[in-house]
This record gives sequence, C-alpha cells and structure tokens, in this order.
Amino acid sequence: MSGYHPDDMTLMNYAAGSCTIPESLAVAMHLCFCHDCRQHVKNLNHLGGALLETIKPASTDDDAFESLMASLEPHAQSEIAQVKMEPTPSEKITQHFTNPLLRYLPTSLADLPWQRQTKEISKYDLTSLINVKGFQVALQKINAGAKVPKHTHKGFEYTVILSGGFSDELGVYHEGDFIARDASHKHSPTALQNEDCICLTVLNAPLKFTGWYRVLNPFMAWS
Amino acid sequence: MTTKKAVSMNDSTATNDAPDWGALLARVAENDDKAAFRAIYQHFAPRIKAYAINQGFSQHAEVLVQEVMTSVWRNAGKYSESLASVSTWIFTITRNQRIDILRKLNRTRAEVVIETEELWQIPTEDTTICSIQNLSTEKFVKTAIDKLPEEQMIALRKVYYEGKTHEEVAEELNIPLGTVKGRLRLSLQKLRVMFEDKEI
Repeated sequence: MSGYHPDDMTLMNYAAGSCTIPESLAVAMHLCFCHDCRQHVKNLNHLGGALLETIKPASTDDDAFESLMASLEPHAQSEIAQVKMEPTPSEKITQHFTNPLLRYLPTSLADLPWQRQTKEISKYDLTSLINVKGFQVALQKINAGAKVPKHTHKGFEYTVILSGGFSDELGVYHEGDFIARDASHKHSPTALQNEDCICLTVLNAPLKFTGWYRVLNPFMAWS
Repeated sequence: MTTKKAVSMNDSTATNDAPDWGALLARVAENDDKAAFRAIYQHFAPRIKAYAINQGFSQHAEVLVQEVMTSVWRNAGKYSESLASVSTWIFTITRNQRIDILRKLNRTRAEVVIETEELWQIPTEDTTICSIQNLSTEKFVKTAIDKLPEEQMIALRKVYYEGKTHEEVAEELNIPLGTVKGRLRLSLQKLRVMFEDKEI
C-alpha cells in the first residue's frame, strides 16, 4: 500500500477520460499498486455509469440497429466455454490491474537496455510509445544512494515509483507512490540506500537544472 | 421462449423497474439473442449518442454508438456483475472507445503505441461480495448525486459528459476558474465521504 496518491481531481479526470494519455499512464501505474485508489476509481466509474443513466437520450437513426446487427458475428461456442471457466487462483490475484507497460517492455525492469545519463542515473525512454506532443515519458533508474542534481520543472512532473524509493526535501517515497510536482518545486531526489530506485516519470516540459548543474540543461534530460 | 420476455422489456422507460441488464447480456453471449440485444441497444444507444454529441463528436456520434455497441456484443460474455453494474460497464467501454477514436484520428502513421485498454482498465476485485456491492453501489451513487447541489452537478456533468477542461467549464458558465475547481473539489469530497461511510 503506498502513501502518496493522485489527488481526487486527478482520479476524476482519469475516470472521466479527460486527462492526457501520459497522465493516464502515471495514474494507471499507481493503480497497479494501490487498492484504495482502485476502489475510488471504481466508485468514480460508477458515477460515470449513473450519469449515463440520467443523460437526456438523443434520437438514433432508424435503421442503425438493423445495420449494426448485420455486421455482427455470432458468438463462437468455444469462446463461451472459455469465459465460463473459473479463473485459477493465481490469475485471480494478478487480475486486479495489470502493469500497463508489461506488453511493451522487451524484458524485466532489471534487464532493460538502460541508457546511461550519468554514472549513477540511467533511463529507458518511452516517449515514442506514448507519442503525445509536448510530453516526455521514461523509466528512470537511480543507483542506491545516488542523488539527482537539483532541478525545477517548467510544467509538471508525475513520478510513480516502481521499485526502491527516494527522498527529497518534501518527503520519503516508496514503491507505488505517486508524486506530482510543478514549477513551484525545486528538488533533488536521493535514492534510498538499500536498493536502486526505478520509477516512471511523465513530464510535460523539459526540466531545468539549477545552480552549478545548469550547464547540464542542454545535454541531459532527467526524462 | 426467452424471446418473449425480452420483447416485453423493450418498453422499459420506467426507472424503478429497470430490466436485469446482466441477464440480457448473458443471453446475448450464450444464444446470440437478438431481442435481448435490441433491448440493451434501445436503452443505451440513445444515451451513448447523447454522450458523443456532448463530447463534440457531432457527425461522428453514430460511429461511437456503433463501436460501443459492437464491443458490447463481442464482450457480452466477459461481463460479470463482479466487475461493475451494466451501466457502469457500458460507461467505461464508451469512454475508452471515445479515447480510442480520437487517438486514431490523430495518428499520422502506423506505429506501436500503448493501447487505450491498457491505460484504462476496468479495475477488478475478486470476491463474490463485490457483485452485491456493485449493484448496491449503483443505487447508492444515484441517491448520492441527487444530494449534490445543482451547481456542483453541472460542473461534474461537464467534465464527465462534455469532456470539458476546468478552464472551459469556467468560461462557459462565466464564473472564475477557482470557483469551478472549488465546486468540483467539494462534490468529490462529499462523494468520497458518502462512499467511505457506506463501506464501513
């Protein structure tokens, strides 16, 4: 169970489907870890269902149903038999919410072809997988105990910790935590001592390193 | 023999005595039951279309209806009361298809991108208690939203059903952005409290 969650507004925008694709990835990733937020999204989906019931219906084309019927294929019997099968216990456990990136990563997190940024920080870029203009999306790996140079954000940054943890001026974060930062924050995350920290970062504008490290700005993107 | 029952369900505009949508879906999946599917279509298609129009689909509104209803037909066998009530289930399909259509329209070339279904999964919890919980939750949500002040409902509706950003809602209602955010926040807080009270 994680300690830092998306706020109600973020969860609502997600349930309503009015957030961007990169934001939805960060929320979905957090949902993999967090029972409470899954429950809340479920409630917000119910709200969507209830609103659908109370919406003023629009008239549909007269022949729309028949033409739709003509395009549908009968359900195969085998398919039904499959559905009827009880899931095995292990399937039941993993079924809650699957890691949305699972299908798209070539290997396990540990074995990814990480791209080195500095001696202690590396990334695996996902920007093209998400492919939304103006957003940078990546997995980040900070070696145990390493510090990311102090930086601010031009836009906002969402971070979801997938393993390990880090701390910054505002708190200590662990697996599953969802951290939102905007332009008003200046921070320098430090990975916890005992293990490497891997997280998903979603950024809607490039980072700006401050202080001495500003020379890095043109060369290094934390995302 | 089952067909007769479905026909009598077609005139179900009364809200108190809603048909057992789950049973109708099961008949669609098991028997390709056209009458059952028609009953579902007649109730939900006009609502999906209204949603599509509100979301600015205008001439593509019927496309969304067809996509959603096709998906309902294909996945009828996967519906389970332990996932959600049928209207919630159809809401989530509608939302996902809307996002999918928009994403496809914006796509310039064939490329591997993350699927909408991966990003917006229907969260599941695997207990049988859930099915009872879901049905009562649906009723509960209906009563809960009746208790919200009209101004908060309007803001919620615009976000959920018109896909409006908070800025657009503010502009449309001619009120400050802070007021919109305040109304949404209040309504969510109230709902959260109501949900939490209920779970205990």
